[in-house]
Amino acid sequence: MSRKGVGIAAFDRSRITSAQFASHGSSLRATNAQALETQLAVFRSLLQQFAATHAKDIRSDPSFRAQFARMCSAIGVDPLASSNSHNSNSSGSSVWAQLLGKTVNDFYFELAVRIVEVCGATRAENGGLIGLKELRDRVSKGRMEGADSISDDDVRRAVETLKPLGGSYAVVTVGRKEYVRSVPRELSTDQAAVVEAAQVLGYVSVSMLRDNLGWEVARCKTVIEDLMAGGMLWVDKQTKGEWEYWSPGVMADTDGGDAGP
Amino acid sequence: MASTTPSEGFPFPREYFFPAFFTRQPNLTIHHAQLTKWSSLVLAYARHHRIFRLALSAAADSDLFYNRQLDRRLAPPDIREVVDFMRKDGRAEYLQPGDAAAAGAGAGAGDVVLIYWRKPQEWAVLIEAYVDETAQKGSVLTVYELTEGENTRGTEFHGMDNGVLMKALNILVKRGKAQIFGSEDSLGVKFF
Repeated sequence: MSRKGVGIAAFDRSRITSAQFASHGSSLRATNAQALETQLAVFRSLLQQFAATHAKDIRSDPSFRAQFARMCSAIGVDPLASSNSHNSNSSGSSVWAQLLGKTVNDFYFELAVRIVEVCGATRAENGGLIGLKELRDRVSKGRMEGADSISDDDVRRAVETLKPLGGSYAVVTVGRKEYVRSVPRELSTDQAAVVEAAQVLGYVSVSMLRDNLGWEVARCKTVIEDLMAGGMLWVDKQTKGEWEYWSPGVMADTDGGDAGP
Repeated sequence: MASTTPSEGFPFPREYFFPAFFTRQPNLTIHHAQLTKWSSLVLAYARHHRIFRLALSAAADSDLFYNRQLDRRLAPPDIREVVDFMRKDGRAEYLQPGDAAAAGAGAGAGDVVLIYWRKPQEWAVLIEAYVDETAQKGSVLTVYELTEGENTRGTEFHGMDNGVLMKALNILVKRGKAQIFGSEDSLGVKFF
């Protein structure tokens, strides 16, 4: 057992030791940070290399693009996070833009523009609530022949890019279906339940809601009227019985030559 | 005129298979969207079948307004609303009793509608272009020649409705590009 000094020199020694620990610690930290920085730089350049080599695939293959985007977000790089300046100088634009010479970046912005167009054009008939798949189909149809295909994931990402504009664009999930909402209107719980119910057969009726959701008739009527006022249901009075209330999304699902519902 | 299959080559749009499309929607915004869709459906249908005049009472039972597959139909008052909507857009016009276009119209006025899948101005442009291309400026053509003659075969206005044709020609007259003369049965047109 070594006996540590009890003299006055012990204070000096402990001061020196703690100073040494501190300096060693900071140098360790520095090397650590440096290593991380190098790693990040390496990774970045690899990512860049990867993106450059596969730019074509990223552009043309929706699932590949989704994977790449997922990879970026997994390491905390938001590929679409663009700073306020929109020009192409490297510091001001997003990772996509830096990596790919703006092409993938632009892909999403262009897609977003098309989404806004389609949402605007269909808002009168669906009250600003459009099925994600329907939206994708409409956007795809409007594109030029031979243009790259679009996945649901792309639509979701493109809608994300619209958020800073404050246009209340958002992807909402009702039941098992995703919608893109383009009006600043939240669905109440009851309304969401009715929208979800209308996914099954394409329509709802008062008695259907009463039987399946166990609601009072008055409640069913109120919710239906609310949704009608919002433009999210169309009434069909020619049923020879109870009126049916149709979800306008059905219009897109049934194709012209098809037998209908 | 109505067949049970709503086909006859015309590809009906998706909304035609949407049951609620045939009920007048109470929501104003939706109603406007509905009228817009009906209007373009009527125009596309008329263009496909080259229909120039539509007798509303008969059309109500045709597959245009009556989807037998769904057993849904657009009620006559709603059809009138669609026509009124189209009129505001310059895409339809009721046949007036005193109108030159009414000549030969079987049904009473107020029932027959001229459907302008091309507006008279557009027809006028087409006719003018034809006359120009075939170097017939200064020459006289009969109205019959224009729509039924061998030379106009293949042009869009071959076989077109006389009433609409006269409206188009009158536009050219107003512009000083044509002159109409002759009597009821043998009208001639001179182009400048």
